[in-house]
Amino acid sequence: MDPLVYVLDLIVFIGIFGIMSLSLNLEFGFAGLANFGKVAFFLVGAYSYALLSEIGVSFYLCLIAGALVSATVGFLVSLPTLRLREDHLAIVVLTFGEILRLVVKSERWIGGVWGMAVSPAISVAGASARVGVLVNIGLVYLCLVICFLVVQLLANSPYGRVIRAIREDEIAAEALGKDRAKYRAQIFALGSAIAGLAGGLYAQYIQFIDPYMFMPMITFTVWIMVILDGPANNWGALLGAALVMLFDRGTNIAKDYLALAVDPSNLQYILFGVLIILILLYRPQGLLRESKVKTKAIDRVGHGRRATKNKGS
Amino acid sequence: MEEELLKIREVSKHFGGVYAVNGVSLGVRSGSIWGLVGPNGSGKTTLFNTILGLHRPDEGAIYFNGTCISHLAPHQIYALGLVSAFQIPRLFQGLSVLDNMLVAARGHQGDSFLNSLFLRGDWQKQEVEFADRAMEILELLELDRLALSPAGELSGGQRKLLEIGRGLMASPTLLLLDEPAAGVNPKLGRRIFEGIENLRREGLSFFIIEHRLELLFDFAHWVYVMDKGKIVVQGEPQDVVRNPEFYQIYFGE
Repeated sequence: MDPLVYVLDLIVFIGIFGIMSLSLNLEFGFAGLANFGKVAFFLVGAYSYALLSEIGVSFYLCLIAGALVSATVGFLVSLPTLRLREDHLAIVVLTFGEILRLVVKSERWIGGVWGMAVSPAISVAGASARVGVLVNIGLVYLCLVICFLVVQLLANSPYGRVIRAIREDEIAAEALGKDRAKYRAQIFALGSAIAGLAGGLYAQYIQFIDPYMFMPMITFTVWIMVILDGPANNWGALLGAALVMLFDRGTNIAKDYLALAVDPSNLQYILFGVLIILILLYRPQGLLRESKVKTKAIDRVGHGRRATKNKGS
Repeated sequence: MEEELLKIREVSKHFGGVYAVNGVSLGVRSGSIWGLVGPNGSGKTTLFNTILGLHRPDEGAIYFNGTCISHLAPHQIYALGLVSAFQIPRLFQGLSVLDNMLVAARGHQGDSFLNSLFLRGDWQKQEVEFADRAMEILELLELDRLALSPAGELSGGQRKLLEIGRGLMASPTLLLLDEPAAGVNPKLGRRIFEGIENLRREGLSFFIIEHRLELLFDFAHWVYVMDKGKIVVQGEPQDVVRNPEFYQIYFGE
């Protein structure tokens, strides 16, 4: 295989998982919702895309619809789990993801175990593999930039401050006039929409989906990305996605060159485990710090204080 | 007669077989400071939490400004202008002191999802005003130097002050304070009460639980004494002090 295509392919994957990582960062990093069912919304986005593109809907509508369907599912999941605290929520959404996968697996009309072929979003007639992947890089990174802007704008707004406050103390936030059910449902819906978008991009890039591509391991991989580089930091979420994907691909390449007693791609899971333990022990806040809420008003206060400090010294 | 701002009618709240609040009726009029005292475990904090919607009353009704609030959620009660500061501060520890204050601002347009994305100009202007007011309150509480530090780094007394500051930030009609002067030094405790008195002159009303009677009785206009879930004595501070029943409940024989 053309080695350049291999690198480009890695870049596409970093982009798709960067979007996933941003989505989980919004839910867990900012709002404190431990969504261990991330892959379910990835799956919903991917299958929505596949089904719609099969009946000839154009690709951008498929992507948008995938995000909307996923957002709806996310909203519905948030309703019964409203009162659940972190670990309970995690267990419920984890099982939700697995149940959804099993349902998809046994439903014939969406391919069941055989999966579905998906047509690519943009196909250039007679183009080489390189061009095909380059087109995908453009599409994926356009979506990534949009998602990044949305999450970043939200994080640096009073809304972002409120969801962080709910993460810190739900009762106090409620007593200070914040309807936590509303915020929780909104965050679930938006996070799921972003994950659904990533799922659609994934389906059209791979051009084939089956239930075995949506194992809980996807969820855990995204979690590693977020924990590794610090929750509540969007740059960290992207950096985490890049590092984990590089590591993932690196061990696959290493397989061909290293003669180890253990298969490197299995070793990778062990290493991920060790990595998480090390991070949690020695740097629980992640590699990067939580980003502060930045708004004009806060900048003004900051400048004011610096000015008086300089006067004093 | 002045209008009653907060009216509590025959409110009871029990946990299992224990009546924490047992048939309490009382009223709080606007523009004054009302005190609530009583021994530990007499049900004062439970009564406050019931008023705030954190507990549902088992019996009775609570009216605020003529509206029945006994079945509203805490955030709805807050929106009406009935605000509290917790006895044990519940700060958003990972957020800065200023952010803690700004979360409490009532009617912040940027709190809504769509506004925060699309009406950035509007709420940014509004937030500058909120930030100015927050800094004024922080100055009063001597926390202005720490405005940008994480709330988790504050000392115990400072946390207490920030908890009160958050309550003030909401520009409430009635502010419930649960032991505002507990755990702060005597001088600052008096300054807090002087600050409360200044705000009262501006039209705010207060309902305060406090064990530091020398402070509360200097500033309160009316005091309720609670024991075993019931209001047993009430009156103006100078009368309550002379009441033998109050003496027995509070100081023993």
